[in-house]
Amino acid sequence: MFDFSIVSKWFHDLLTDFIPEWLVIGIECVIVLLFIIVLYAILAIALIYLERKICAFFQCRIGPNRVGKWGLLQVFADVFKMLSKEIIKMRQSDRMLHDMAPFFILTASFLTFSCIPWNKGLEILDFNVGIFFFIAVSGIGVIGILLAGWASHSKYPMIGAMRSGAQLISYELSIGMTMLTMLLLCGTMQLSEIVQQQADYGWNIVRGHVPAVLAFIIYLIAGNAECNRGPFDLPEAESELTAGYHTEYSGMGFGFFYLAEYLNLFICAAMAATIFLGGWAPLYFPGLDGFNTIMSYIPGFVWFFGKAFFVVFLLMWIRWTYPRLRIDQLLSLEWKYLMPISMFNIILMAIVVCFGLTL
Amino acid sequence: MTLEFTTIAPSELHAEMLRQKNEQKMDFLVNLIGMDWGEEGLGVIYMLESTETGETINIKTVAEDRQNPYIPTVSDLWQIANIYEREVYDFFGIKFLNHPDMRRIFLREDWVGYPLRKDDQTELLNKLRMSDAPLSDTTKEYFLTPDGKVAEKTNTVWGADEYVVNVGPQHPSTHGVLHMRASLDGEVVKRVGLVLGYIHRGVEKISESLTYPQLLALTDRLDYFSAMQNRHALCMCIEKAMGLEVSPRVQYIRTIMDELQRVASHLIYYACMTMDTGALTAFFYTFREREEICKIFEDNFGGRVIQNYNTIGGVMYDIQPDFAAEVKKVSANIRKRFHEYQDIYTGNIIAKNRMIGVGKISREDAISLGTTGPVGRASGWMNDVRRRHPYALYENVEFKDIIRTEGDTNARHWNRMEEILESLNIIDQLIDNIPEGEYQAKRKPIIKLPEGSYYQAVESSRGELGVFIESKGDKTPYRVHYRSSSLPLANAMDTACRGQKFADLIAIGASMDFVIPDIDR
Amino acid sequence: MNNNTYFGGILDAVKSLTIGLKTSIKVFFEHHETEQYPENRATLTFTDRNRFCLEMPHNENNEHKCIACGLCQMACPNDSITVTSEMVTTEDGKKKKQLVKYEYNIGQCMFCNLCVTACPQGAIQFNQEFEQAVFDKSKLIKVLNHPGSKCQERPKPVIASKPTATPQGQPAGTQTTGEPKTETGETPQQEKVAATEPIETKKED
Repeated sequence: MFDFSIVSKWFHDLLTDFIPEWLVIGIECVIVLLFIIVLYAILAIALIYLERKICAFFQCRIGPNRVGKWGLLQVFADVFKMLSKEIIKMRQSDRMLHDMAPFFILTASFLTFSCIPWNKGLEILDFNVGIFFFIAVSGIGVIGILLAGWASHSKYPMIGAMRSGAQLISYELSIGMTMLTMLLLCGTMQLSEIVQQQADYGWNIVRGHVPAVLAFIIYLIAGNAECNRGPFDLPEAESELTAGYHTEYSGMGFGFFYLAEYLNLFICAAMAATIFLGGWAPLYFPGLDGFNTIMSYIPGFVWFFGKAFFVVFLLMWIRWTYPRLRIDQLLSLEWKYLMPISMFNIILMAIVVCFGLTL
Repeated sequence: MTLEFTTIAPSELHAEMLRQKNEQKMDFLVNLIGMDWGEEGLGVIYMLESTETGETINIKTVAEDRQNPYIPTVSDLWQIANIYEREVYDFFGIKFLNHPDMRRIFLREDWVGYPLRKDDQTELLNKLRMSDAPLSDTTKEYFLTPDGKVAEKTNTVWGADEYVVNVGPQHPSTHGVLHMRASLDGEVVKRVGLVLGYIHRGVEKISESLTYPQLLALTDRLDYFSAMQNRHALCMCIEKAMGLEVSPRVQYIRTIMDELQRVASHLIYYACMTMDTGALTAFFYTFREREEICKIFEDNFGGRVIQNYNTIGGVMYDIQPDFAAEVKKVSANIRKRFHEYQDIYTGNIIAKNRMIGVGKISREDAISLGTTGPVGRASGWMNDVRRRHPYALYENVEFKDIIRTEGDTNARHWNRMEEILESLNIIDQLIDNIPEGEYQAKRKPIIKLPEGSYYQAVESSRGELGVFIESKGDKTPYRVHYRSSSLPLANAMDTACRGQKFADLIAIGASMDFVIPDIDR
Repeated sequence: MNNNTYFGGILDAVKSLTIGLKTSIKVFFEHHETEQYPENRATLTFTDRNRFCLEMPHNENNEHKCIACGLCQMACPNDSITVTSEMVTTEDGKKKKQLVKYEYNIGQCMFCNLCVTACPQGAIQFNQEFEQAVFDKSKLIKVLNHPGSKCQERPKPVIASKPTATPQGQPAGTQTTGEPKTETGETPQQEKVAATEPIETKKED
């Protein structure tokens, strides 16, 4: 497996030969920033296109196919349209908070985005409390949504934001619980370490068998809810609240929410891939050496994206199948079902790990 | 049918109505029609029906003073009268004493005059306004003081401290420009009020200046998902008034088309229901099948939604030679696909939780609110016009009464789902036996109806749709009134939604399946 | 499965949700229903019952059948037809009504077919040209009689001529290309050719 840290170390050493260390770190930060932004934009475009196509296929349609070949340029056209739109200033909204809200969401999304291990040795933020940090920064998004709803001074966004507050805070628990379950298995919070383990000993979902699969399902449900996606899209329930908390946004203000929504979907999927499906670790079958060698020639980031997009497809499949829940049903699903089950699951995992029942 | 009236003076009206309701069990107010008889004065026609015995009675009352007409309200006896009386007030200016809410309903609150009065100068008094339509939170109530004078007081509709959310007129799930105002307590709906008239076109007023064949073009545009049945009702009403017999072939064609239209409409209902509850994929499933029905419509009469098919004395074109084969194909396909609709949506635990026990309407409320059609039948009220007053071929075909007693969204949903299959059964019974014959009866080019009042109801996709025509023997009608099937359904929203969640308001609205142009005629 | 117990409820839910997923993925791989409009012009077929635009068929001598009786104008519920006529004296000294201008406003038309049924001569009919969108509202008012056209000499049995005229009309090509080049009746040439295609293919079938 190719280790990307060789490249970054070589680059670092190369620069330190010519210029002082602090400047090198500055330059590297800028490069990393550019990398994140570009990747962020590319992924958003890919995801929006995917969503539209997949959604269309589920609905006996063919989706965008007019702008560019197979509608590939449709998203660019949409972004261009959004950029050229007027940003409407509303009379009674709290201007400052209103304009700040999308940036909170973007910040949360960027910070969580930076935690993802793309490849062996290709991590941006990687420290020993990685998962803890991930959960902590993903919570910032709620502030953005609540602010957006509050500052719009309008009833639909207000209801949407309140729903969202209740929903995100509740489902954060389940996410935390499932991650805790997997941490019991891994024994580390460092994301690169978690993936490395899986490369060495097999994917977590296999290693942790029953409790891991349970945790994976709960994670998918809770993750879907965290992303405000159907069937948990109550905060922006289109048929009830028109667009929920971002009803009053126009132009790129809305665009940021839209962007963040899709990136959150990817982050959710990428985390699932990292924690459960082995991140960049290739698929190995014990005993099949020839097969394993071929698999290890496929670069890690391909594995990673493959797995992440597989989870993305799962989430889209769920979204385009089910009707929306009601707020009380949503909360009872979390507090009456997911929470107790995931608590039980932690105990189960603890037993499994204690008695060495892992595969 | 020709209507006979019992005339009662306004002063005795309320007592008589109370007697009719309690002693004669006339618990269903079919229709409440405002009239301007010119010399005779302004008045109201009440059409009552007993849900137990099936007896009907038509009561007519004429207000004493033409300038300031007053008639006692019956809205305390039948809930639906509330909205009907507001309509009459709006168009005729008849003030209903003790009616709690005498606001205009379809027209703007600052409208001058009462357009359906024969002497109203609507266009003169109402120039095009460039200001926003006012929307007041208070209303007037008129009542008699002990010394016999009419006094008025102000009632508050929406209090200053209520959190009122406007659902509509521009809203993704009101299926048109319906404006509902919902007073919320957190997520719980306390009350729902309707603001109507955003697309009111004055069909009844326009009809007074059109000849009978010209009238037909407007019915397709009332409830556009029941276009066939609407036009069937009007054609039948005119034919019966003229004494014109239509051939058996036409009866067959009309019955089959009515049922096809019902299937198409219920498929649309399913699509809307799923979309409103967030299952966007299921939306397309039924649209796929409806498209095939539309294709049949298009092949046979050149229109998909606006069909222009029934004519006075027949139908516009004969059916295509491959009609029967096509219908059978579509029917088989819908039956094959039917389980898919249930698999993806109705059987789903999320959908079940969204529907079961939500938005209950009791049988008494359903009758009092006049919610005919699948909605009333979901509350255990057998109100199918095809049974009560059979028309066309419904006496000759076998069909099951689809009736449920829960009165909730789920019952309404399943009623419609089963009606799809039942309609297909009716079609199956008829499709192979269409007799030969003429498709258009011979008639005079100029149609004049004999003097009198005529009423004909059909079971449209949403319930009883009635056409009332008053003729003075001219080639244009003196007054035309449509008993809208959707208006009572929209009016029942308040009863169904109280105490439910805001998200349920949307689901209940979808399960009522009202069509806005039918409300705003 | 018992829905009332906690675990029974969960199992029930999982079962129903799985059925949902199964159904949607099945449709995912099924045929897509989308019709791609401008590309499918060639396969778009319409019956002669589709009513898209009123027209007045002219024969090869630039003659129509309209006798300017105005019945269609009277039958129209929306006043979308205006017939302008003049009285002329024929060679044998009889006074006769003659059509000057037959204006049809498609923007007001409800396509109710009353005009066609009212016409005693079978002089007007609906055609199947559905691409009627224009940028200027005034272009919606069409003059149906061609410039310089005159009324056909009436064959004696009027009714007999009717069925031959209404269902099929003249070949579609001549109808569209021979349309008047007045400022009101004109539509972009490209659009017209495109609109003609489906009808022509239908003829070949």
